[in-house]
Amino acid sequence: MIRIAAVGDVHIDRDVLGRFRPALEELPDRADVLLLAGDLTRHGTEAEAKCVATEFGGLGVPVIAVLGNHDHHCDEVPGVLAALTDAGITVLEGDSTVVEVDGTRLGVAGVKGFGGGFAGRCASEFGEPEMKAFVRTTGTVAERLGAALRDLDCDVRVALTHYAPVPDTLAGEPLEIYPFLGSYLLGQAIDSAPTDLAVHGHAHHGTERGRTPGGVRVRNVAHPVIKQAYSVFNLARENVSPSPASGI
Amino acid sequence: MNDYTEAEVQRALAEDLGVAEQGITVIRSDAGLVLCGEVESPHRRDEIVRLVHDRFPGIEIAADIGVTRAAAPTEAEELA
Repeated sequence: MIRIAAVGDVHIDRDVLGRFRPALEELPDRADVLLLAGDLTRHGTEAEAKCVATEFGGLGVPVIAVLGNHDHHCDEVPGVLAALTDAGITVLEGDSTVVEVDGTRLGVAGVKGFGGGFAGRCASEFGEPEMKAFVRTTGTVAERLGAALRDLDCDVRVALTHYAPVPDTLAGEPLEIYPFLGSYLLGQAIDSAPTDLAVHGHAHHGTERGRTPGGVRVRNVAHPVIKQAYSVFNLARENVSPSPASGI
Repeated sequence: MNDYTEAEVQRALAEDLGVAEQGITVIRSDAGLVLCGEVESPHRRDEIVRLVHDRFPGIEIAADIGVTRAAAPTEAEELA
């Protein structure tokens, strides 16, 4: 069994330093790995990322992250990435990593993701250049997520995103903003591989549990949703992964 | 207090770098505005109230904003 801890949307800055640490000190007793589902910082400064490194670094278990929209706001992504990686945090964007736990290989593929909406209520790559660029951005990152998931050589396969891959876990958010919270293209990418679990954040007013059309379990781990320092998911190695529903 | 003011408040909460909150719900009431949601620290709650007071003087504000708990989980979810 692999024990996966996860949280997103912690929005760390100096005023939050130390709030998570007592619970994080207990994490190695409860989980084998920690996933951070984006929006690690308040508005994406290198200084805030150093606070993230202080809070989430040196835990004694691997920490794997994707960035969120907040982490991009101040256009300091290179500095943010450097601060996180210097603290030993693995940051994924269209790639993957494998962690071995007691002989079981946990593979995590991650992207920030982007918006666009869900089946029947989504944006199309049509019209103005700005609209086409918006939808194309999501399509590109979803393709990278799908490829990274399919290329993984592992026993347990997890998708990590900031934006939501399904509408299920957005329940509680205003319907009008769903297209800004996620995209079905991310779900389609997740379903293109035998994924065991998909974890995302971003939707502060959403709900915890959902499934992709292909049957992959989805968990919204945004901190305001889970209302604890992190959630823990115990995944048995013998879990039967669903068959790929579709390719992209 | 009208739709435009409500939109301005929502955008100010997101776009002011001292606040940068997209998770606060702005609700119009008979008396003014109710701000609801959760933030990561008491300081941020205070900053939200201060921002709206400063930018929109004359609007009565009720803040119903909590600080998200950060305790260790009491149980794991078994995904068998």
